Amino acid sequence: MADDKKPAPPAGFSELVTEWERNFNEFSNQIMGTEDFSRSMNQFQNVQMEMQRNFAEAMAKQLSNFNMPSRDDVVSIAQRLGEIEQQLDRIEKAQLRANGEGETKAVKKKGPARTKKPPVKKEAEKK
Amino acid sequence: MSELERSTQQLTSQMRELVDKTIQRGVKGIDYVQSGKTPVGLTPKETIYERGTLQLYHYLPVTDEVYRIPLIIVMATTNKGFLFDLMPGQSMVEYLLKEGYDVYMIDWNPPVMQERGLGLDDYTQDFLPTCIEHVQQDCGVEDVNILGYCQGGVLSLIYSATHPDGPLKNLVCLTTPVNHHKMGLFRLWSSQEHMDLDNLVDTLGIIPAEFITNSFEMLRPAQKAAGQLRLWDQLWNDDFVKSYRAFQRWGDETLPLPGEYHRDCTKELMWDNKLFKGELLQRGKVASLKNVKVPLMAVMAEHDHIAPIESTKPLLDLVGSEDKNELTMKGGHVSLIAGPSAVKRMWPKVNEWLGERSV
Repeated sequence: MADDKKPAPPAGFSELVTEWERNFNEFSNQIMGTEDFSRSMNQFQNVQMEMQRNFAEAMAKQLSNFNMPSRDDVVSIAQRLGEIEQQLDRIEKAQLRANGEGETKAVKKKGPARTKKPPVKKEAEKK
Repeated sequence: MSELERSTQQLTSQMRELVDKTIQRGVKGIDYVQSGKTPVGLTPKETIYERGTLQLYHYLPVTDEVYRIPLIIVMATTNKGFLFDLMPGQSMVEYLLKEGYDVYMIDWNPPVMQERGLGLDDYTQDFLPTCIEHVQQDCGVEDVNILGYCQGGVLSLIYSATHPDGPLKNLVCLTTPVNHHKMGLFRLWSSQEHMDLDNLVDTLGIIPAEFITNSFEMLRPAQKAAGQLRLWDQLWNDDFVKSYRAFQRWGDETLPLPGEYHRDCTKELMWDNKLFKGELLQRGKVASLKNVKVPLMAVMAEHDHIAPIESTKPLLDLVGSEDKNELTMKGGHVSLIAGPSAVKRMWPKVNEWLGERSV
């Protein structure tokens, strides 16, 4: 006898995927939610950091041998440039203030009127 | 018509549908593979302030009149703000603009190496106040409202707690954790006993986006594979594919974090739970949530696996606000905000509460 309520195959597939996802996540969380897992994961991370640091040091030595700047050198230059730009910005603002051209707070900008009110609630909704 | 005939007809119809969808999957699958990046964040906006990782947008109003008080959305620091503006019809920004809000957003760019020294206090004592000043200058109104999402809500709460006499008038916190000792697996994986945080931060400088993405994916390891299976199943469905690709792009564009900021958040929040305990210091000021006295709405997701409800629920008990409202809704951390049904569920509730308080 035909079952009119039987879902079409695509809907069944979607439910299967959802069920599988939920079960897999629960299972994984049980494993990953242990102190041992956390300890192992962080130990692995420490090893990665050590390797990264050693590699960075080796690269810096090589770059130095070729008389080329390392990443830290470039970052340091960028940082100094940023500080110089901020200093220039401060000098410019001070000069503008000295000339009486400083920015005033809350300068009104053209735009829609700020008169909007919320819709009136119906009596039934208020109760 | 006999039962047999009815069954046969039903089976034939199902088979025909199956064949149609299989053909469409093939055709649209080729389009999917060949197509470029999905356009997102399409609501017209202008950048009114930018400094390194910090970016402040103003969305262009679409109504003839707007509410008096502008609304600043503060995005979580790990992700791009276009979650609030995925695509036309699935955009909270678009919804708020149509409801008459004057909307701004604090969004984030990937920090560069020279920003590795930015700490939590830079975000709460410099970035937020500076953006608020720029909003005030831009719109000519002193008062502001803030809507903070996840870590954006945490930053907003800390700002409010350390600026009780500031221009903030109303605050909405979406899925915002305040009890970091209830952050589940995140807390376990970053525990003081196992994690050499200083080694990580000092070596990397900037915490890479892959580190953040992997942490999120580990919470639900099957999500990616299941998503791809659903995509294959629904490749014939243009609306599904568009939404999937937009969310995919958002996930792919997870942001790196400045090392010091990550160090502060881990030590002060995750390890010591100082925000919950009222012991967090920001440039000499105590960020006690009791100092948050503005009207506050807290929205929580029942099935939030990133900020579990145990971590978000205590907010209303901690703040000093008299006018406060809590809303717990079915949904997850992301679907509550940007899922297809958010327009019927969460957004109108926030609009109802905030609209009255934006005049």
